[in-house]
Amino acid sequence: MNSSLILEIAVTILALALLLADLWTPRNLKRYLGYAAAAGTGLILLGSFAWNPDPGSSAFDTMYVLDPLALYFKRFFLFAGVAVLLIGVEFSDRFVTGVTEFSVLVLFALCGMLFAASANDFILVFVSLELITVTFYVLNSFQRTRLVSLEAGVKYLILGALSTAFTVYGIALIFGTTGHTNFQQIAALTGNMTNKPVFILGLLMVLAGLGFKIAAFPFQMWAPDVYQGSPTPATAFLAVGSKAAGIVLLLRVLFIAVPAVAVDWTKLLMVMSGITILYGNLCALPQRNLKRLLGYSSIAQAGYLLLGVTAMSAAGNSSVLFYLTGYLFTVLAAFMVIAIVTRGVDGEDVSALAGLHQRSPLLATALTLSMVSLAGIPPLAGFFGKFLLLKSVLERGAIQPACYWLVGVALVGIVISFYYYLGVVRAIFWSENSGSNERISISWPSRAVLLVCIGGMLYLGLMPNRVVNASVQAVQVLKPTSMPRAVVRF
Amino acid sequence: MHVGLEHYLVVSALLFNLGLLGVIARRNLLVIYMSLELMLNAANLALVSFSRFNNNLNGQVMVFFIITVAAAEVAVGLALIVALYRKKQTAHVEDLTTMKL
Repeated sequence: MNSSLILEIAVTILALALLLADLWTPRNLKRYLGYAAAAGTGLILLGSFAWNPDPGSSAFDTMYVLDPLALYFKRFFLFAGVAVLLIGVEFSDRFVTGVTEFSVLVLFALCGMLFAASANDFILVFVSLELITVTFYVLNSFQRTRLVSLEAGVKYLILGALSTAFTVYGIALIFGTTGHTNFQQIAALTGNMTNKPVFILGLLMVLAGLGFKIAAFPFQMWAPDVYQGSPTPATAFLAVGSKAAGIVLLLRVLFIAVPAVAVDWTKLLMVMSGITILYGNLCALPQRNLKRLLGYSSIAQAGYLLLGVTAMSAAGNSSVLFYLTGYLFTVLAAFMVIAIVTRGVDGEDVSALAGLHQRSPLLATALTLSMVSLAGIPPLAGFFGKFLLLKSVLERGAIQPACYWLVGVALVGIVISFYYYLGVVRAIFWSENSGSNERISISWPSRAVLLVCIGGMLYLGLMPNRVVNASVQAVQVLKPTSMPRAVVRF
Repeated sequence: MHVGLEHYLVVSALLFNLGLLGVIARRNLLVIYMSLELMLNAANLALVSFSRFNNNLNGQVMVFFIITVAAAEVAVGLALIVALYRKKQTAHVEDLTTMKL
């Protein structure tokens, strides 16, 4: 048997076992199944560190590859899965029914992400994206007694299906012009495909579908509404898992399937990145709803991630991976705090945070650190990640002067973002507390997630070496063309 | 008249654009959803004709995946639209305005 699929198989078996166990579990014990799901996923995560697969192994006739990049993202997704499942348990008192089904759907989406990390063929790209998207339709509308949740689900459904249609048509055009769906076989042909308009149109359509997943301009309009309306754990998974799946697929398509075209698209990606950063940060300024604010912030973060892609270098790609890892800890901490704080409160207004430093110092610390890290203030993960991204773009500036402008735009965006991120910090420490003053009790698994996330943010900010090395190792499979052809046109 | 690859592709492009037009112009969620299915089927038609004229079965395999996924998507999507209708007694996009700045 091919052992390279073992993580996906384990996650699927765990999900099916939970569905079965749900039948025999009394109602009042069902939330413990959520803990079981998190524990199982945690074990799979630990197992993945003990497991040392052959770096060249593949499955389904190289449709699925298990290279270091795939393994890096698989561990990333598994960690996100553990934290999201625990946020889900924290949130489960707000679901009318289907507490276990929520965990199971998270696991199925996780399985889709694990496949996305290994996709080496457009068919697997499509199937794994759809496994993620279709489960998210359900996850986003899971609180079906709340109108906002249903509305978020329907908006995600329409725009998600639209982006799927574009991706599929794009894949059809790519298949039609090259005769292949496998990345390596397409890469062997792309040298003489770059001037075929139909092929480029197909690639653009696939890029549109992936842009929707990572919420980059001009495919970002769903993000604020869906982030606001969805249940908090689903939003957290959308912010971390779904975005990272889009990024890994983007990296694979650009740098494995069509490296020759990727270089031509530097300018396009630069424009996308710059507008995404400015749009996300400017629109976040007037927001009062925490989840909506994080929705706009996640658009801006997608712009920062695209910075690393535009660098078209190994340094740029590895900084994308590093930044995503920092973003993982940061965002999961923020959503865990939101899930706990908004218990018994309608909506997620920033005013719910008033007096949080007295009600629970741990929650206040976690949220403050995550906002400071998102803003990019040293010494946290977000600072070092942004530093690496900007550095990689500056290196590119020597051959493409427009990169200096892009760095300028990114810096303006970062300065703008200080206002709203620090506004949240101000709401925690310096706002009138009109609500209750009683201490918030936190269960120990949630406490552990918060501590791990805080530790992760500090570790990545202060001692980034290990993770930087791991990300450099991981992106070795991506080979950006060393001699960019676009230079000639400048 | 000989029917070649171009004819199929033109029909498929027409279908795709009609679907896109429907998504943009129509206001009823169910009609929008139908238009989305039309777009997926346009891609199916393109894949099948590319397969047929290039003598390469990979495209046909992909069509099976698309049909399966589209069926799952329809099941989830219609359930969602029904749930929304029960809650709000409407299936029009203008009424989806609970969340605004």
